[in-house]
Amino acid sequence: MKEQILDTLRDLRAYALKKGVEASFLYHEEDSYLMRFANSAISLNTNERLIRLEITAYKDRQRASYGLITALGKTDEMQHGVDIAAEMVQHAQPLSYQPTIPLYTESFSDESAYDPALATLSNQERLRFFNRVAAGLETDAIQLSGIFACGANTLAQINTRAEHTQYFKTSDAQISIVLSHTALKWEVSAEQSAQQKADLDPDVLRRDLAFLVEHYRHDTPQQLPLGTYDVVFGPSAIADLLNFMGFIGYNGGLMKRGYSFLKEDQVNQRIMSPQFTLTDDPTRRETFPFRRDMMGMPRQPFPLFANGVFKGFVWSQDEADEFGAQPTGHTVPHTSIVMQGGDAAASTLEELVALPRENDVLYIPYLHYMNIVNPSKGLITGSSRFGALLLKQDDSVAVPYNVRLTQSLLDIFGDKVAWLSQAQVIVNTSSSYGARNPRAIIVPALMQVNGLEISHSNSSY
Amino acid sequence: MRKQLQEHIARLQAAGALYVDARWYPVEENNDLMMWNGNLKEASASRESGVGVRVLYKGAWGFSAASDLSNLGALFDKAFDNARVAAERVTFPVRLAEKDAIQASFKSPNQIDPFTVPLADKLAFMQAMDAKLNQPGVFQRICQLTFTRKQIVFMDSEGSEIEKTIVEVFPSIRVAGLDAQGQMHSRTFEPPRMGDTRGWETLDMDVFSANAERIVREMNEVLVADNCPQDVRSVILLPGIMFLQTHETIGHALELDRILGYELAFAGGSFVRLSDFGTLRYGSEKLTARADATIPNSPGSFGYDDDGIPAQNNLLIDKGLLVGAITGRQMVEEANARANKIIFEGSSGANRATSFYRVPIERMTNINIDPGDDGTLDDIVRNTERGIILDGDKSWSIGSNREQFHFATDIGWLVEDGQVTRVVKNSTYQGETVPFYNSLSAVGNASTWEVCYVSNCGKGQPNQIMQLGHGVPVCRFDNVRIGE
Repeated sequence: MKEQILDTLRDLRAYALKKGVEASFLYHEEDSYLMRFANSAISLNTNERLIRLEITAYKDRQRASYGLITALGKTDEMQHGVDIAAEMVQHAQPLSYQPTIPLYTESFSDESAYDPALATLSNQERLRFFNRVAAGLETDAIQLSGIFACGANTLAQINTRAEHTQYFKTSDAQISIVLSHTALKWEVSAEQSAQQKADLDPDVLRRDLAFLVEHYRHDTPQQLPLGTYDVVFGPSAIADLLNFMGFIGYNGGLMKRGYSFLKEDQVNQRIMSPQFTLTDDPTRRETFPFRRDMMGMPRQPFPLFANGVFKGFVWSQDEADEFGAQPTGHTVPHTSIVMQGGDAAASTLEELVALPRENDVLYIPYLHYMNIVNPSKGLITGSSRFGALLLKQDDSVAVPYNVRLTQSLLDIFGDKVAWLSQAQVIVNTSSSYGARNPRAIIVPALMQVNGLEISHSNSSY
Repeated sequence: MRKQLQEHIARLQAAGALYVDARWYPVEENNDLMMWNGNLKEASASRESGVGVRVLYKGAWGFSAASDLSNLGALFDKAFDNARVAAERVTFPVRLAEKDAIQASFKSPNQIDPFTVPLADKLAFMQAMDAKLNQPGVFQRICQLTFTRKQIVFMDSEGSEIEKTIVEVFPSIRVAGLDAQGQMHSRTFEPPRMGDTRGWETLDMDVFSANAERIVREMNEVLVADNCPQDVRSVILLPGIMFLQTHETIGHALELDRILGYELAFAGGSFVRLSDFGTLRYGSEKLTARADATIPNSPGSFGYDDDGIPAQNNLLIDKGLLVGAITGRQMVEEANARANKIIFEGSSGANRATSFYRVPIERMTNINIDPGDDGTLDDIVRNTERGIILDGDKSWSIGSNREQFHFATDIGWLVEDGQVTRVVKNSTYQGETVPFYNSLSAVGNASTWEVCYVSNCGKGQPNQIMQLGHGVPVCRFDNVRIGE
């Protein structure tokens, strides 16, 4: 199949050259499976097999692209796409800068994050996994929801500048499991990410769910008073916060457009907690990495923050072209963000609960519907979900209704950070809008931040 | 192709499927143009086609989709296989509400198909807008035009065959500037739907020019304004934020799949319970909301949904009382059975999929608020003692059961003793859904009512984006927390 894909791209390149069209080609193939659960049943079992081709044509400073969903072997349709892109670029308004066209100086292929055993997981295997996690935890009132999404993702590239190709293939799985009470409306969740079949571990999910269900079944929920709390974030919440930092933090193009809380003169200054070290590390296969970017630039670990010191902005090729910056290998569908762990031994809920504490501590595993209130200040807002706990000073554990945090990322990852787990967790942050693009972030299992303000407290679920 | 689809539908039915449908997209076209500070950053077009097959077997759904139609039989078989496995874990067997077999077609109204307009003309429109926005104080200016055209053929095992062709135009212009503290503020204009059509002809240069001048002026006023105070006041929501308030806290809250727990793994649930229909005082008597898929000019009107149910206009909230939901064939049957009574008489025709490769789910149509009898915006302001007028959807965040919310807006105007006093920046407001709508104290008349569109509503797994509309008037709510 790989050779058939690359041969198709070579044929398209030859066609474009024959027509005198400067063009680049991006092939995307996905084989996607998703088993969805709701109300303790399989509410949907689906698969999609889709092939997309994106053709970008260039003429001096003009650029236009045409995409199609197609099939290997539909040569006429693909060539027609080249003709359309070539026609569009004639009318495209010239850019104020010269866009760089990729030049692949050698062919590159990376299938190191592809495991055929995961990619071809059967329906029965997905169902068995869910049944094992949920066994004994469901009741008439406590019902199972969730997804088991998995599949394979292939990207391949060529352009008219050279005959070399780039080829990337990954396998991935994203599992999220929710147990919820039909009448009381509480809900607890556990998640797992897998790049290979051996990463799948239903017992870890089961352990986390069982712990939360035990508290939610038996404890009386309470509305928390507004005010400041010491908060321990779980891995999903940490990953989501880092995702937003990617939008409004270290992206060079967005900084130039005023959509960042970081400024150019802050490079090499300490902005965050000394415990905060963040890297884009494409050597971590768990993140479904790109070891070359779409321009052919080799990607190495790229420091973003080192012990709280901001190390620099990332630049995609197009943004670098526009703003006169040096590209940093970030013309990629996704990065490979890794947040370094700290020195705390606690990494599970049980270990967190067992820690001695001087104040009440609010555990927030997940932040729902986060959004940016003020990008210039790094101000975000979101609500707790999926199993918050109030760990009381007297060692007891209470169940709170959900609360809202409206805070700056500068505070959350700044000097208010108290401790980080040594152990790291992989959080799958994939979405399935449009083409498959598996993503994961590696974060400390737990992060305590002191003195965060709760701006709203629910009186019910 | 239609004959082949019918043959495979019949074959699966003969093999034991309770219900089968196929959605064939002969073509879906998109054209996206974005000009940022005068640079044409995106000039793209796309075309896709394919078939999605949905099979109901022993009370469970299987779905499969493919763009390669060289082996349709395998595609149908895969959907059936998926349903067979799903049938191994069924708690409430899926039943579908009754419907008539329909042979029909629908075309969204437009005078000029945007796909017949030369690219040069589209770019000329954007360049003209960009020039209007390129004014002192403006740091960033963005013009976007998105055009879509979908042709959908729906066929099912109950004898329906429906063909739809839907054309949409989604334009927007936006400016942003930096205040003295280096904080960015922006204003956006996404034109309300005017007239009875949805084509290229809706791009009125005069309307855009006037609004380009307005958003530049208002943004510059925000840049030198004080921060919104932390306070409890009446908030007067203009349609540019009222549409999103309606979307997030009436629309999503009343999707029946959310109410029944089908979105708990992702989008969330709803605070609404089945026992609330006919009993819950959702808002004050001034609140009447409806799901109206029959207004001609909005993307929430599509003729027939992806269950093959005709468009309808249904009350959701009648003078404050909750009376209806956003429903499809499956969910109304399950809701009635769970409630052990008839709450819903049938599907409201709101089951839609974003593409051939996604399964239909409950989606909003046009979730509208009826105009009221509290006059114009000026009348409402005149009758407000301490308030703030808010506009622009800067940020929105909602609790997982839609029980509470936090919104930030692009601009605020403080109101004191019936007079607008000054502009403020960084305006926010927050509240709890039911108390908030019960504090609704004024609803503007028809002169304040606008149909706003939503082009990117996300929901479902696999994720889906949907287009829809909201016809809303100016509304005033009392005792609302602002500035936090």
